Amino acid sequence: MRTDELIASLAADAPRVAPGAVARRVALGVGLGAVGSAAVMLAWLGPRPDLAQAVATPMFWMKFAYAAATGLIAAVLLARLARPAARAGVAAAALAAPFAVVAAMAVARLAQAPPEAHRDLLMGHSSMICPWRILVIGLPVLAGAVWALRGLAPTRLLPAGLAAGVCAGGIGAAVYAVACNETSAPFLAIWYTLGMAIVTAVGALAGSRLLRWR
Amino acid sequence: MLAGLAGEAGPYRRLLDELSGLLRAYYSRRCPPGLDVEDLVQETLIAVHTRRATYDTGQPFTAWAYAIARYKLIDALRRGRAHLRAPAEEADALFAPDGLRGSAGAAMAARDLERVMAGLNPRTRSLIRDVKIAGLSTREAAEKHGMTETAVKVAVHRGLKSLGETYGGSNLDED
Repeated sequence: MRTDELIASLAADAPRVAPGAVARRVALGVGLGAVGSAAVMLAWLGPRPDLAQAVATPMFWMKFAYAAATGLIAAVLLARLARPAARAGVAAAALAAPFAVVAAMAVARLAQAPPEAHRDLLMGHSSMICPWRILVIGLPVLAGAVWALRGLAPTRLLPAGLAAGVCAGGIGAAVYAVACNETSAPFLAIWYTLGMAIVTAVGALAGSRLLRWR
Repeated sequence: MLAGLAGEAGPYRRLLDELSGLLRAYYSRRCPPGLDVEDLVQETLIAVHTRRATYDTGQPFTAWAYAIARYKLIDALRRGRAHLRAPAEEADALFAPDGLRGSAGAAMAARDLERVMAGLNPRTRSLIRDVKIAGLSTREAAEKHGMTETAVKVAVHRGLKSLGETYGGSNLDED
């Protein structure tokens, strides 16, 4: 086909594009992924048995808010990186904010605790399984984010893959927070963050391959 | 581009025309030997068209289009190599009417055509048969296969290109 013929045929078939198509696709992919994550969590672990009492404690919401805020900021970043020539901008810097708050809380908690309590605060009782559970629960969101990006046009695949990973890690960890009964800020700062970092690494690795579009 | 997003064919066509000139200049300067400039121009125009929803109307259009052009160049270099040398217009020769009818070898040509098309996936094969041989319009083919017209065009274009890659240009010219 000659280029002028191609142009004529493309121009002849250019229906109106609704504004907000990028945001809608990212919301759909990440939203469906979150539903998938919740299904995995419920079928595999179930909500913590004392959920009714836990929702009255600030620590439950702290865990949930830390993870969800990280995931949602990353989703905004993702929607930006889905466009050619877009800059990450403030959304990338904003990702540091939830972690900074939780890290400050963790340091404050450790500072006021007696030294013999530090080990329990840092390690909890599930430190060895928590990051891996976050990885498994986060994977459906990663799949949804990758699906969304493949239909858009990310031109820098590594940053886009990283953003997809942070988004999946954050939302996966928020879902996991409903099943997890750890209560210490230091635990949250270390092990939830590690879980999200693992999903981010998977996203970066997957990104350079799975996000290629033609 | 705003007109393109709003569905106005005329101004959108002029934009694609101008863009193809810019892209040709862009790729002529950067394209290493072995990659076909016109092929990259066409790939980029298709991407600009099918992914035009990712253009942010607050941003400069050229920055957006060049980012796609750059991505396409990197993508072509990565997949690399010779198979981009055969542009789709050579494969078009396979379907030229006088290649099939009127010549003594028409039956043989038709049989060869079936054979080379066997390498395509079934949907692309059936689309090419409908559009290039049975002579359906893109719209009719789109309705028949439940696809959008753009999807039909892109699938046919890529199918032809992959035929061109498999059965390089010189063979096709002999008909």
